Amino acid sequence: MNDGWNIVVCVKQVPDADDVTIDPDTGTLNRSDAPAVLNRPDHNAVESALALREAVGGTVTAITMGPPPAKAVLQTAVGAGADGGVLLTDRAFGGSDTWPTSLALARAAEELDADVVICGEESTDSSTGQVPPGIAAHNGWSQLTYVESLEPRPDEDVLVGKRDVEGGYERVAAKLPVVVAMEFGANRPRPAGLHRKIFAETEFEPVEWTASDLGIEDRVGLANSPTKVGGMDTASPVERERERVDTVDDLYEHIMEVL
Amino acid sequence: MPIDIDDYRDVWVFVEQHEGEAAPVSWELLSKGRELADETGESLVALVMGDGVSHLADEAVARGADHALLADDPVFEPYRADPYGEQFRALVEARKPSIVLIGGTHTGRDFAGRVAVPAHAGLTADCTELAVDDEGLLLASRPTFGGDAMATIKCPSHRPQMATVRAGVFDASEATKDDVDAAAAVEEVDVVVTEEDTLSTVIERVVSDVVDITDADVVVAGGAGAEGNFEPIVELADALGGEVAASRAAVDEGWVEPARQVGQTGKTVRPHLYIAAGISGAVQHLEGMNDSDYVVAINTDPNAAIFEHADYGIVGDLHEVLPKLTAMIREKQEVVV
Ligand SMILES: Cc1cc2nc3c(=O)[nH]c(=O)nc-3n(C[C@H](O)[C@H](O)[C@H](O)COP(=O)(O)OP(=O)(O)OC[C@H]3O[C@@H](n4cnc5c(N)ncnc54)[C@H](O)[C@@H]3O)c2cc1C
Ligand SMILES: Nc1ncnc2c1ncn2[C@@H]1O[C@H](COP(=O)(O)O)[C@@H](O)[C@H]1O
Repeated sequence: MNDGWNIVVCVKQVPDADDVTIDPDTGTLNRSDAPAVLNRPDHNAVESALALREAVGGTVTAITMGPPPAKAVLQTAVGAGADGGVLLTDRAFGGSDTWPTSLALARAAEELDADVVICGEESTDSSTGQVPPGIAAHNGWSQLTYVESLEPRPDEDVLVGKRDVEGGYERVAAKLPVVVAMEFGANRPRPAGLHRKIFAETEFEPVEWTASDLGIEDRVGLANSPTKVGGMDTASPVERERERVDTVDDLYEHIMEVL
Repeated sequence: MPIDIDDYRDVWVFVEQHEGEAAPVSWELLSKGRELADETGESLVALVMGDGVSHLADEAVARGADHALLADDPVFEPYRADPYGEQFRALVEARKPSIVLIGGTHTGRDFAGRVAVPAHAGLTADCTELAVDDEGLLLASRPTFGGDAMATIKCPSHRPQMATVRAGVFDASEATKDDVDAAAAVEEVDVVVTEEDTLSTVIERVVSDVVDITDADVVVAGGAGAEGNFEPIVELADALGGEVAASRAAVDEGWVEPARQVGQTGKTVRPHLYIAAGISGAVQHLEGMNDSDYVVAINTDPNAAIFEHADYGIVGDLHEVLPKLTAMIREKQEVVV
């Protein structure tokens, strides 16, 4: 394989978490009409995909499953340097939990003949981290999660990942094809080049695939999602004194009182 | 492919271990699993995988499991997602548990999907509350986006009902039964994976003793405001007999080890006193410490969000405030001694 690897990077559109705060009186979210952005941890996934392409050659294709406006996150990825993008969009995908979501991404990765699929650690809106292992499981591929850095071994068709584990790290050699979930903050994403960004915003058009294009129209959506949201409770806001003290002496007194 | 959910029964708990040592979350889940099994009137089954780990199967029984299943083979040490997932999946498909609880650690969250996907099971991530309803359906709850609300997830028509569960939220079970009768309750199962089938190899593993900040009564946490110097935080924690913790920003900078990170992607702590120094109070951080009895905040920015979530706050430089505080506490202790 001298022509490099087919690298697929999974990117998700989420409400901007930076605009979200908790109202301390009501315990509810101040979402201030948070605009939709690329999931922050996926910036690390895009950066690793680009760095991997530099190391082994090949192409980087961004994929996202979402409604048509999710095209915006493909533009972000292409602006950063991805070669192309695929939008998985279909009403049939509506209501999908992680099982059908990872199925759709897994089928698309197969269709793209992926050697490596790179994801973020978790999405800021659903924060399950289940999609990357789900993609690997649907395809029977190897996986590397909580990855700090990657070392490709193209001669052996192997990707080595340094994984964060309790109390330290491990280095795991995984056979291709492999699904990787990069640890959030694992690298510093490069800024988009101006020309690439203009191209992404004006000329780039994603390839669009529906559920039937992937042959999974009967296996996605709410009906094929094992988990259902059974209810939402506002977590009762934690009562806090919210008292400001002016001197370290006062602070010391308060600490001694509660201990 | 509809399944008959009545074919599925019992509560399973995965006993996570590394090099023969159980992860603390395993025993936390075992005690919660005991409660759930008592409510549904089913058995509590511990699943132990590893190499030379029969002592953990015995211990699981001593700590309250009705049975333990033991998959003992060198292929399971060190941990790898594919052999663990494959073995676990084979057991689930053959024995049909109704509820499966797995620790929400990097290990648990790594392989849970390799069981849930082929089994078409429902999998809820990183739960912090578990209950069963009148029909014995698992109610798995977790904080949603930003931690303002709790979403309760059900799995009405698929089995098993799987959940990964946060470490530190339940109390661990104690060993109550003596281990004389333990061995009889342990069943060694067939190992269905071989080294040749595996897709990955661990080429290096570097782990040191893992600190556990989840049990501490006092936690002193530092953030980006520490600007590379954690000494004032370490000293104050020492004076108070507490543990040092950190925000993700401080961990990412490499000032503190990852095991001490508090928050959504770190640990949940519920100490009596939580002191946050140089931490802004991002929602992902609050999620890990909001259940502390008392919160004290030290921050140079009077508008930092952390003050809204603290009992006592002082606007000031932690490099000045903490050493003063530490000196006062040490002085008092000397007087007492
Ligand atoms: C998916 C995801 C998961 C995440 N998980 C976590 C998590 O588990 N835990 C977590 O903590 N974060 C998590 N984060 C990150 C979180 O959003 C914040 O970025 C992070 O908590 C900020 O850390 P900080 O408060 O230390 O730093 P900053 O936000 O930079 O705040 C530093 C604070 O220090 C104050 N300061 C500066 N100098 C001083 C001084 N000399 N004395 C006193 N105060 C000073 C400043 O006023 C400021 O308020 C996550 C983010 C994402 C997207
Ligand atoms: N709808 C989606 N489209 C593309 N990638 C996704 C989607 N959902 C999740 N992912 C990927 O899976 C990672 C983990 O997401 P999650 O399992 O939802 O926490 C994300 O960082 C993305 O890389």
